Amino acid sequence: MPVAFKILVVDDEPDLEPLVLQRMRRRIRSGQYSFVFAHNGVEALEVLRQEEDIDMVISDINMPQMDGLTLLEQIPKVDPNVRSIIISAYGDMKNIRTAMNRGAFDFVTKPLDFDDLQITIDRTLAHLVEWRDALSSRDRLVSLENELNVASKIQQSILPTEFPLENDFAAFASMEPAKEVGGDFYDVIYLGQERVGVAIADVSDKGVPAALFMMSSRTLLKGSAIGKYEPGEVLKEVNDLLCEGNEAMMFVTLLYAVYDRTTGKLTYANGGHCTPYVRRADGSIIALPLTGGMALGILDGQDYHQDTFDLLPGDTVFLYSDGVSEAMNREGEEFGLERMAQVLAENTTEDPRAVNEAMFEAVRAFAGDTPQSDDITCLTLCRREKA
Amino acid sequence: MNVESRREGTSLVLKADGRVDGTNASEFQDAMKSEINESDRAVVLDLQDLTYISSAGLRVVLLIAKDLQRQGAKMAACSLSDPVREVFVISGFDKIIPIHDSQDSAIGALS
Repeated sequence: MPVAFKILVVDDEPDLEPLVLQRMRRRIRSGQYSFVFAHNGVEALEVLRQEEDIDMVISDINMPQMDGLTLLEQIPKVDPNVRSIIISAYGDMKNIRTAMNRGAFDFVTKPLDFDDLQITIDRTLAHLVEWRDALSSRDRLVSLENELNVASKIQQSILPTEFPLENDFAAFASMEPAKEVGGDFYDVIYLGQERVGVAIADVSDKGVPAALFMMSSRTLLKGSAIGKYEPGEVLKEVNDLLCEGNEAMMFVTLLYAVYDRTTGKLTYANGGHCTPYVRRADGSIIALPLTGGMALGILDGQDYHQDTFDLLPGDTVFLYSDGVSEAMNREGEEFGLERMAQVLAENTTEDPRAVNEAMFEAVRAFAGDTPQSDDITCLTLCRREKA
Repeated sequence: MNVESRREGTSLVLKADGRVDGTNASEFQDAMKSEINESDRAVVLDLQDLTYISSAGLRVVLLIAKDLQRQGAKMAACSLSDPVREVFVISGFDKIIPIHDSQDSAIGALS
């Protein structure tokens, strides 16, 4: 049997209580309704505070201490989802209108017609049930699915879809977005004929605000990268701009590197992101040293150090997000950096797309049916042996 | 994830355990906030039993640090497990939130 709707009846007339209990006895006995009583507005608010499961209030207007119209104003402050019916004198349109303006759902008139009251109660409760359904599905939809949907669309819209494939170098990036959490992005920025900038980033948190933060990070990065060739300066500028008015304390870990095609030099600065790996042509693996930078958006006025690494023909640099290294299997083990390095060492190809695919495959095989909890993102750049 | 609190002299010690990621970051935030009083001036975050923290969790730590700064309070972290320490170091958080090896040294540094 469903739980009875709990109805609070507020009237200073002592006769009303036994009358209600008598006339509504069938509904009470069948478990559809239960009643509680109060004799003025102050008492009613007290009862509402104490008994959190009250569904609706039926209240008289003229009462001592606090009248019904004042009570109507106070009810939403205690529980915005309670529905109210007001009992007014017949034809008292002025009070009825005030009551409706103050959020009453309906009214009944004196002398009370209990058949009419029952219909009015049923209709009010039916509305309440629908309202609650709508509320819960709105909560589910808007706050989770819908919001994450919007966020994921924003994320997809900023990711580049075309990548350089030249005789001397090639780059490729791809992402396996997580269903629920996501905040990775990447970019490939062309800086004239000789240089190309590559970036990989991970925004804290999820949902629309995080996605918007991601969008501004990406736009600021692109704007700054086009004007400057020093990754450290780029990060410093982007960080200062992101720090402005960042009350929500969102932040982004961002690794930005500039590859010089004529020299093979890779200059990189790291704002709190996981460190890149290099696979040399001979299959050996090097983790590039951290440059000690803080994630962006937290503290302004900071300098970001940069470092360089000379990529030789046949070398590959691999940027990734922690979704790769922290992917988990059924036993709760992480994929880890060692496995990641192993996959890199085993795939001595000059095709960056093949490197990414091998990595995704290895992570998938490791994780099995364990749900993916974070975006998995890889960005690979190969300096190719000149044909 | 659980947060327990205890007062040690004038310091509030918050001890968190388990994992904090995107799915429970807001619970983590509420749990910490509910333990902090406006009159607190020194808060030590003991992360010995925290096995994992994601960027969403770090953001909560930042928000708490910022709240504390507003009320004129200091915060330090202590006893980080290796994976959590790594996250703090890589993200550069160790530059904003001082990290100590033990609760005693964190409390000592704040008082």
